[in-house]
Amino acid sequence: MKVNYRQLSIMVFMSFIALKFLALPSLLYIESKNMSLFVALILMIVDGLYVFVLLDLMKKSEEKNIYEFMKSCLGPVLTKAILILLILKYALVVGNISKGLKFFVVENLYSEYNWFVFVLPLMILIGFMIYKGVRNIARVSEMVCWAIVIGLIYIALKALSGVDVLSFLPIFKDGFKPLVNSAWIHISWFGSATFMFMMFGFVDFKDEKKSKMIKYIIFAILIVQLLYFVFYGLFEVTCPTHNYCISDISQFSSTYSAIDELSWLVVSMWIVAQAVQLALYSYCIAQALKFLFDIKGNIVSIIIVMLYLLAWSFLGENTIKMEQIFFTPFASIITFIAQYILPLLLEIAFAIKKVNKNKKKVKNERNEKEVKVNI
Amino acid sequence: MKVDAVKTFEQIKKKLHDSSDIKSRMVQFFGTQICLCYIAPITDNMLLNESLIFPLVNFSKEIKNNDIVKELQDNVLANQEVTIFTDLQSAIDKLLAGNTLVLIDGADKILGCDLEKITVRAVAEPPTSVVIKGPREGFTESLKFNLALIRKRVKSDDFVVKMLEIGEMTKTQVALVYFDSIVDKKVVKDITNRLQSIKIDGILDSHYLVSYLQRNKKSLFKQVGDTEKPDILVGKMLEGRVGIVVDGSPIVLTLPFVLLEDLQNSDDYYTQPIRVAFVRALRLVGVILAVLLPGVYIALELYHYKILPTEFLITIMNSTQGIPFSPFIEILFIILLFEILYEANIRMPQYFGMAMSIVGALILGDTAVSAGLVSPPAVMIVALSGITFYIIPGQASQFSILRLIGVIVGASLGIYGILLFCVFILSYLSNFDSYKSAYLAPTSPYIEEDQKDSYMRKTIDEMKKRPKSIANNKKNELRR
Repeated sequence: MKVNYRQLSIMVFMSFIALKFLALPSLLYIESKNMSLFVALILMIVDGLYVFVLLDLMKKSEEKNIYEFMKSCLGPVLTKAILILLILKYALVVGNISKGLKFFVVENLYSEYNWFVFVLPLMILIGFMIYKGVRNIARVSEMVCWAIVIGLIYIALKALSGVDVLSFLPIFKDGFKPLVNSAWIHISWFGSATFMFMMFGFVDFKDEKKSKMIKYIIFAILIVQLLYFVFYGLFEVTCPTHNYCISDISQFSSTYSAIDELSWLVVSMWIVAQAVQLALYSYCIAQALKFLFDIKGNIVSIIIVMLYLLAWSFLGENTIKMEQIFFTPFASIITFIAQYILPLLLEIAFAIKKVNKNKKKVKNERNEKEVKVNI
Repeated sequence: MKVDAVKTFEQIKKKLHDSSDIKSRMVQFFGTQICLCYIAPITDNMLLNESLIFPLVNFSKEIKNNDIVKELQDNVLANQEVTIFTDLQSAIDKLLAGNTLVLIDGADKILGCDLEKITVRAVAEPPTSVVIKGPREGFTESLKFNLALIRKRVKSDDFVVKMLEIGEMTKTQVALVYFDSIVDKKVVKDITNRLQSIKIDGILDSHYLVSYLQRNKKSLFKQVGDTEKPDILVGKMLEGRVGIVVDGSPIVLTLPFVLLEDLQNSDDYYTQPIRVAFVRALRLVGVILAVLLPGVYIALELYHYKILPTEFLITIMNSTQGIPFSPFIEILFIILLFEILYEANIRMPQYFGMAMSIVGALILGDTAVSAGLVSPPAVMIVALSGITFYIIPGQASQFSILRLIGVIVGASLGIYGILLFCVFILSYLSNFDSYKSAYLAPTSPYIEEDQKDSYMRKTIDEMKKRPKSIANNKKNELRR
């Protein structure tokens, strides 16, 4: 039930773009204005570098899953603590996507309907995909990926003529501090490679081509940059009022024949992309729960994830504010540790383990030689 | 076993419950009584006369052997296939398969000669796979004829026919055909094991075997390929598939099966690649229209009418005004009407067919619209979806069920539901790996080498390697 290298690259690509077109562009604008483009660019490049750190760790793990690998490097207690941290990170992503999907669907498509009705089929789909495993999610991602890309490029290009390029000038007029502030505050929207922790032992490196992964990462960065460029260029100072970049570009772009026209491609493809990402991160939660509590089989962990998804559907609109006040600093720390500290920690721990192992080996050999000499 | 010509014949008749069609012919051969026992309807009379009765009655030479059984087998019986039976039951089994038994007084063996009368219709173009260019021969209901049609195209010593007998009562002959050096042996073993474990009274058509060969038995989706044409079968075998030919069925099953097979047509390989790419794209669009169009239409009408361009919306509103049913009931009503018409049409005698089409399409459809029961766009949508089913006839039955689900989902959840439904189908099909082949390959998992014959087709000389999507032994060897 392994995923191949190409499928992993596509999953990375999808994860890189998944959270970027919801509320993030308008939130970034509050601190860093038009230069938010650079915040996204820098953090995505860093995420891209971490993909290769995680790939390196995956190979070093020698087919072990993340739990076994961490346990062998860090011991059981620290491993469990890290698993809790990862669950929190995944839960944040699932919550974010779930909330984004909810508002995208309810606001754009069914203003008079209760989200609770819509979350049930979503739960069935997600539950099914988790049950069938990561290869299933990888294969679905592989099939829908290009349709999503075409949809995104289509809306960006269609609205491109309305962009005021001069609004981006002069660049860096407020210096770099707002960029750093913005990057730290909204770091929880990044850390797109964290799902790879749960892919340890599930990747087939037979047809590995690093260039393939690099291409997908660059492509994801370019698409995000293009859409952000269009978004900031179109809405300028009104950006913070546009909560959902993806739908607002198509709805309020002056180049569209009629205001309020919603691009079909965006509606369709964005829902599909979010559903697949929701499945991926829900799978990660389920998998981490399995490791944490040593749960046999999938059912229990799937039920827990489903209940979590259901809980999100009960939370009202006030939760956006709640999240901004309560979650964000907390989320930044979690993401920072999970995405940026943990891989390095594991690299160091693995190196120490290897050095110790070599020392032990040399010592054993020396002892054996001494015994032989004595005999 | 000691044979008494008369008594053994009586014994056989008794075993077969005194069936009236069990016949015998007594002959004296150098003082020994011989009984020829056969089943009249399945025995070729001319062959019986020429190869058994005439040589026995007119044999005038000296007997060289003291063993009369050996003498008959070697020098008298003019039949190409003479089998020796040492027990009565196996002799009876062969009698039932069209052999004539030679019961020799005092012998300890029974001879069997294959004189089966093969009644077969002429080789014709199968109605389900009509082609504009390319071979028009189709399989018939005779296993021997079908194997001959395959052998005609295959002159390789690599070609294997493995016979099995399935069905307690019908004892139907089933042949596994494949190229020994190309096929994956594990796949052959798996199929053979599955077939040998079948316990059933009778196999009347190859489709009886389908449920035994499927991995997901209760699934809606087709998991076993089929063809009525020998050229398609040989093409599939050359890619590493196994053919299952069943006596009495003109449809040959093929395994492993991938979904993309149904998107391809034998015509594709006799047409220009550019045309093929266009036609395959049309088929893909056809699939989407067939399954999703009515569901999307309901979703738009019920939930997302704002998305529609104003002119289009006005046209639909004008034509749906005054319709007494909700869009869901309206579409459901038309779908059911079409399904009933379809069922009636294919089962009705041919001379009624035309009248039925006129009554169904013109009178019922037109009257329902004129009476204001259904709207013209709804009729058009369902009709368009119905026509596109037959772009891929092999999947038509699945599509009709999926369309119905799509309608229910579209009516209850709108576009959001339709999209989740699509993802669900993709996710469901992603798990359909069977006989070491992924159901959605070469799309997912993406196999670059196999794209030469997927949604587009390269020229024959460019397709140099066997597909990787199908489990086979010679993935990298030259295909042509």
